[in-house]
Amino acid sequence: MSGRFINIARWISRSRANGPGERFVLWVQGCGLACEGCWNPDTWSFAPRQLLTPDQLLREVDRAGGIEGITLSGGEPFTQAEALVPFVESVRSRGLSVLVFTGFERAELRSRVASRLLALTDVLVAGRYDHTQVAKGLRLLGSQNQRIHFLSGRYGPEDLDDVARCEAHIAPDGVVTWTGFPGEFVNE
Amino acid sequence: MSAYITVATPMIDRDLLLQALADVGFGEGRIVVSDEPLPLVGYEGSQRAQVANVIVRRQYLSAASNDLGFISTPTGYRLIVSDYDRPRFGATWLVQVSERYRAREAERDARLRAEELERERERKRQLVEAQRSAIEAKAKRLGYSVTVERNQEKVRLVLVRRTY
Ligand code: SF4
Repeated sequence: MSGRFINIARWISRSRANGPGERFVLWVQGCGLACEGCWNPDTWSFAPRQLLTPDQLLREVDRAGGIEGITLSGGEPFTQAEALVPFVESVRSRGLSVLVFTGFERAELRSRVASRLLALTDVLVAGRYDHTQVAKGLRLLGSQNQRIHFLSGRYGPEDLDDVARCEAHIAPDGVVTWTGFPGEFVNE
Repeated sequence: MSAYITVATPMIDRDLLLQALADVGFGEGRIVVSDEPLPLVGYEGSQRAQVANVIVRRQYLSAASNDLGFISTPTGYRLIVSDYDRPRFGATWLVQVSERYRAREAERDARLRAEELERERERKRQLVEAQRSAIEAKAKRLGYSVTVERNQEKVRLVLVRRTY
């Protein structure tokens, strides 16, 4: 497996708000798309934040245990496709599924390396976040212009029925981290 | 009449001094403790000019002993011991008492640290619970069904709202 580093913002070992079932969620660091109203602007910078090799990351996935798959979010996963491909290959070899959130439209993902990552992806949630079209109550979508592509036969729309809209993780020190789409909840 | 000498010590805490004295055989019942310094009593039964706040009465030392005491000063207790008793209750004995004092002090500090840690843990537990109940209440008000999962001291709230 390649020893190339993946630049990471954070991860959580288990989430039910980022795709079907329990999922290991990885937010990569670095995104050049600059969507207005982006929920994770701290992930825009391409400066190294946490650099992990695919093997190191895989150990974290293995430690999570009992998960259905992984979700890549960000930041923009496709700008690190080269480093992510070997990691995702190993994830798939464990029988885990792969869901990717990208700010790119599907049609924009034409490069050789993007195609390799797409070939390893079960579900792709694609498109810029448009704050003028906030998607209330739509599973996995931040804004209504985004599209969900079921790329393998593994999942279909019905598999998203039980995906939580959002999740609050309260750390032992009382810090609350939201994941999923808490906007509707947090802002109301 | 035996003369008294005084020896300065760094021992400053009365409770710890009493525990240290108990450790070397002078426990409750053998000690007189007074906020107001009391006169020491000599072997023949007469009061001496020397006063102390913590006194080991002479009958607990030896047959011909004089009272032995500790007087409180801003820099620590001073041992007041007669010349007669000094061979048994002088410098070497004081080293034993001081060692026990330091051991008791270390125990107390560890206990205080543990209590402080526990208070801190409890404060965080309450904070986590306050966050949980606030989020849960708001989520329910907004029509979410909420699952609360706990993993050691971490809490996860999964918010699901069916739209079909
Ligand atoms: S693509 Fe995603 S991470 Fe990048 S700016 Fe848009 S919403 Fe933010």
